[in-house]
Amino acid sequence: MRFLAALLLCWLAPLGAAEPAPSAAEAAYAKGDYATAVERWSEEARADGVTAARLAALGNAEWRLGRKGRAMVCWERALLLDPRDPVALAGVRHALNAGGTERPALTWSENYAMVLTADLWLIVATLAFWVAFLCVIVPRLRRRSASEANHRARLVALTVLALTVPGLWGSRSLTDRAVVRKPEISLRLTPTQLGEPLDGVAEGDVVRTGRPFNGHIRVTTAAGKTGWLRAGEIEPVRGAGLPADLDQKAAP
Amino acid sequence: MRRLASLCFALLLGLTAAAEDRVSWEITPRITAPGQPFRLQIIVESDVILGGAQQAGKEIRPPRGMALRLSGQIVRSDSNEATINYSGVAPEQAGEYVIPAFNLRFARKLIAVPEIKLLVSDSVAFRRDAQARAELVIPDRTFYVGELIRGAIRMRGGEEEAVVASFGLESVAEGFTFTVTADRQPLPDELGQGMQTTFELTPIREGVSELALNGTMLIQGPGLNAFGNGGRDRPFAFRRKLAVEHVPERGRPADWSGAIGSFAAEAVQVSKDQPEVGEPIRLRAILTGSGNLDRLITPELPSGEQWDVLPAVERRRHAEEQRFFVYTLVPRLPGKLLTPPIRFSTFDPLTKQFSRIEFKPIEVTVTGTAPAKVDLIAADPAAPADAKQPKPVTGLAAPAPRRPSAFGFGAPAAPLAASPAFWSGNGLLVTLLLVLTAATLYLGYLAAHPEIRIRRRARAVIRAALVAAPRQASGRDFAVTVVRALQVGAAAVLGAEEEAMTQSDIERALPGASRALLDDLFIRATGERFAAHAAAGGSGDDAAALALLRRLLSLL
Repeated sequence: MRFLAALLLCWLAPLGAAEPAPSAAEAAYAKGDYATAVERWSEEARADGVTAARLAALGNAEWRLGRKGRAMVCWERALLLDPRDPVALAGVRHALNAGGTERPALTWSENYAMVLTADLWLIVATLAFWVAFLCVIVPRLRRRSASEANHRARLVALTVLALTVPGLWGSRSLTDRAVVRKPEISLRLTPTQLGEPLDGVAEGDVVRTGRPFNGHIRVTTAAGKTGWLRAGEIEPVRGAGLPADLDQKAAP
Repeated sequence: MRRLASLCFALLLGLTAAAEDRVSWEITPRITAPGQPFRLQIIVESDVILGGAQQAGKEIRPPRGMALRLSGQIVRSDSNEATINYSGVAPEQAGEYVIPAFNLRFARKLIAVPEIKLLVSDSVAFRRDAQARAELVIPDRTFYVGELIRGAIRMRGGEEEAVVASFGLESVAEGFTFTVTADRQPLPDELGQGMQTTFELTPIREGVSELALNGTMLIQGPGLNAFGNGGRDRPFAFRRKLAVEHVPERGRPADWSGAIGSFAAEAVQVSKDQPEVGEPIRLRAILTGSGNLDRLITPELPSGEQWDVLPAVERRRHAEEQRFFVYTLVPRLPGKLLTPPIRFSTFDPLTKQFSRIEFKPIEVTVTGTAPAKVDLIAADPAAPADAKQPKPVTGLAAPAPRRPSAFGFGAPAAPLAASPAFWSGNGLLVTLLLVLTAATLYLGYLAAHPEIRIRRRARAVIRAALVAAPRQASGRDFAVTVVRALQVGAAAVLGAEEEAMTQSDIERALPGASRALLDDLFIRATGERFAAHAAAGGSGDDAAALALLRRLLSLL
């Protein structure tokens, strides 16, 4: 009995411990100093690596500063790392409902793919493939007929492999998107400087991307309109981490 | 005294006369036919030792139409005589030609050579076909500024001489750009033996300009030697006055941009005949013909309602007498559209007429949806600014940057799908396992069918016996080798043990085999095993034994 009580105490001790003090970024965000919060979280991300939660928090601070494009990039990237991150999901929902941004409706395969991350889908598919492959190969190498368990494992692995196919497909199409980073630009009919404007797109809008040509990228907007945008006007969702600084000139 | 003075004067005259240089020349043949090769020999006698001549061919200036080249000199270091030889080709027109006086520069002295006359007469018998000769091929007409003129120097062999090489082509083409396009090319078959050098001329200014071409061809023939009349090198020289004009302004179309020649619109191609709206496609027009294809400016295609036109660069190298015009077209509207027509004007220098080249449009089916018309006023100006229903504000969630990731890891440096190591590692493992499986299946098959291995071994043993048996020194060794091979082969055929095979078994495996031969072979091979001093058996028929082995081999 005494032993059980000690065990329970050990289990409850971490729960009862005081929460760690808020970081400088969190404190700045709480005080409304969003610029400092962005700076601090960016430094943390550069030093300790990017996580979904950190990106989502950074997206909130960027949004508060009115930088819709950067905020959407942060949230979309956070969702690629953790498709169920509540802060990023709330941020995207807020941007769509109240912020005036647009985002293409997710297809069924993309919704399905958001159960796991793209890398996890690939790992699961690879494992399933190897299990199925080894289940077929090993009995032949041992010159024995496959056992009942082998047949079961083979069936399970092939089923999992089949289930990962739409996830892989959806993950691929999820990464083929970009966020408009420039305010008030036009979707052009042709990939030229003086291409006829088709429709307006605003900063923070998410578009599906196609192939590049002549310094432009063919995109499809949430409204289903297809046209061309300059490569520098959008930022791909799949990226290195933090949003790119478009105002900074490229090194010569 | 007077007598002495006249004697001194005479002596002085004699000394002065001796100090003069004597120069004589000889042309062989003395009178030449038009275009006939000749040799000019200049003999110099001086009062001093001359030494070698320097640049003896530089100062001589042959008259128009005559080719002349230094072909050799004979000068001895201790002599005051020198012989300079030139080889030449007479002009094409009959008449008397004068080579102006010139100086020959020797190491010790400058010798003045008087003018030399060459008589060219039509009455001289000369068979042109026997000699190698050069011909200038260039159109005889008025040329135009910017035109591409193709010409050639044909060096044709004769019945007695063959042209084997050419060198030293020099050109003076004032008012032209001159480019050699191909040197020392073989002549077409119908022109006989020889070679040709082709060139391209482009007039750059109006007026009459002279084209001068000099060179030398190397000839070979049965009667030629280094000091012969014809010589091994034969020079040629052409001077041709060419009249150049500007393309006439009268009747010149506005879209003429310098195309001179005879052209034809060959074909129009598009890279994709069913593009989407906004999808760029490549339009290529192929122009063929003869003329200044390289100087043509790509006709401009304006963008229109149906197409947006972008300049494009052709990556493919164009062939001779062919030119590509390439454009990138972007369709603006869906439906069946015709590509924009490509038109431009050309000037034909032969007919002196302008003509129009037009590439016919081709039909392209554009898919996709038409862009909506741009509505300048999309909203009712009288409507209130906040007419739309405001969307519900959901708000941002409180950030929790320390929340651990649901899957336990942060952002990878690169997606796994983009990792070459991931794909190559998996591919390597799959390949390895497939190879292992294939090897296992193969070995299992062999294990299930042992007769394959037994027969393969039997074939190897019989083949080795066929090679080794004839080399055996003694009849017994021969018999041992053959009997061993027969036993192994018969065992493989009958599915029995090798050691147990007797003559009868071998007869079963090889029906019709000679029993006497088998007995003889077995006695020779195994007789000693049963009786040390047993009879060695007959000499046997080795060829028949080997034939038995070959027959057995064919059964396996």
